[in-house]
Amino acid sequence: MEECTYKQGALPGCAPLAMAYTPAQQSSEPAYENKMALARGTLFPGLDLPFMNLVNTPENLSTPLCELMALDFVVQELKLYLDTHPEDAEAFAALQTCLRLSCEGRKRYVKQYGAITVDDMRYADSFTWADAPWPWQWKED
Amino acid sequence: MFVYEKKLQYPVRIKNPNPKLAKFIVSQFGGPDGELAASIRYLSQRFSMPYPELAGILTDIGTEELGHLEMVGTILYQLTRNMTPEQVKAAGLEPYFVDHTAGVYPQFASGTPWTAATIAVKGDVITDLTEDMGAEQKARTTYDNILRLSDDPDVNDVIKFLREREIVHYQRFGEALGIATEKMNQKNFYAVNPAFDR
Repeated sequence: MEECTYKQGALPGCAPLAMAYTPAQQSSEPAYENKMALARGTLFPGLDLPFMNLVNTPENLSTPLCELMALDFVVQELKLYLDTHPEDAEAFAALQTCLRLSCEGRKRYVKQYGAITVDDMRYADSFTWADAPWPWQWKED
Repeated sequence: MFVYEKKLQYPVRIKNPNPKLAKFIVSQFGGPDGELAASIRYLSQRFSMPYPELAGILTDIGTEELGHLEMVGTILYQLTRNMTPEQVKAAGLEPYFVDHTAGVYPQFASGTPWTAATIAVKGDVITDLTEDMGAEQKARTTYDNILRLSDDPDVNDVIKFLREREIVHYQRFGEALGIATEKMNQKNFYAVNPAFDR
């Protein structure tokens, strides 16, 4: 049998009737760079299947918040991948690296821009949880 | 337990309010295949899921769907922000406006309030995971249709992201079904329901 590309997954040669089979993703590689992953809505080029070739590009994702979003998005993608591939040591190592980076990035972000969770009030002089705009209140500068 | 993070999963930055678009995008907030339905479906199904790793995928995808609910709510808020009664009339938004003003209410595009009748929790491993795969495809189709109808680049930017998430979730639920069948009676997957028969 031919080797599967990153856009394909293996299926059993003979499988029981009356059951649906989805080709399992073979690897967490290749993977997009963080901001590209966020722009495309997936970390995995093999799962990147846009409608009518309408795709987003990462150039509008350069704010500090977007950088944190991109990192957290890679964490989410690796987490879902690992839920169905718990034995993949490489993906787990990548997840751990991203979790550490996200933890550091979050600390820096909170110091400069305000709390992300109520727990972040531990750094604050007073209860400023509601001071920064809520996420839906974006305004053009 | 859930902890709120004061940030969106993906930025929503709509420069031009446009209540006309809100009229149909509301369906992905509280419609038959919307994000509220998605989150409640997965977060409810996980209680009877007998396999821990599959309860994990239901929890993690269900939680992400709550983040998508917030994103779609944000789209609706920004599309209807500061609208005047004249703009309400011009958009044909009067029926919604009279009941909810510029509030964000979970309803179908057709006006039916969100209902649990659009989701299923069957308490059967194969049935629930198959429902979830169908649900992801229904949401994907809805986002395709929104992309066909909307000409606002700021809205479509977010819709493309949300649509792609449906494809990733579909893949993961498909893999989850594969994991479930590996654990089941190989001669007859339907011999028992492992969510009920011990």
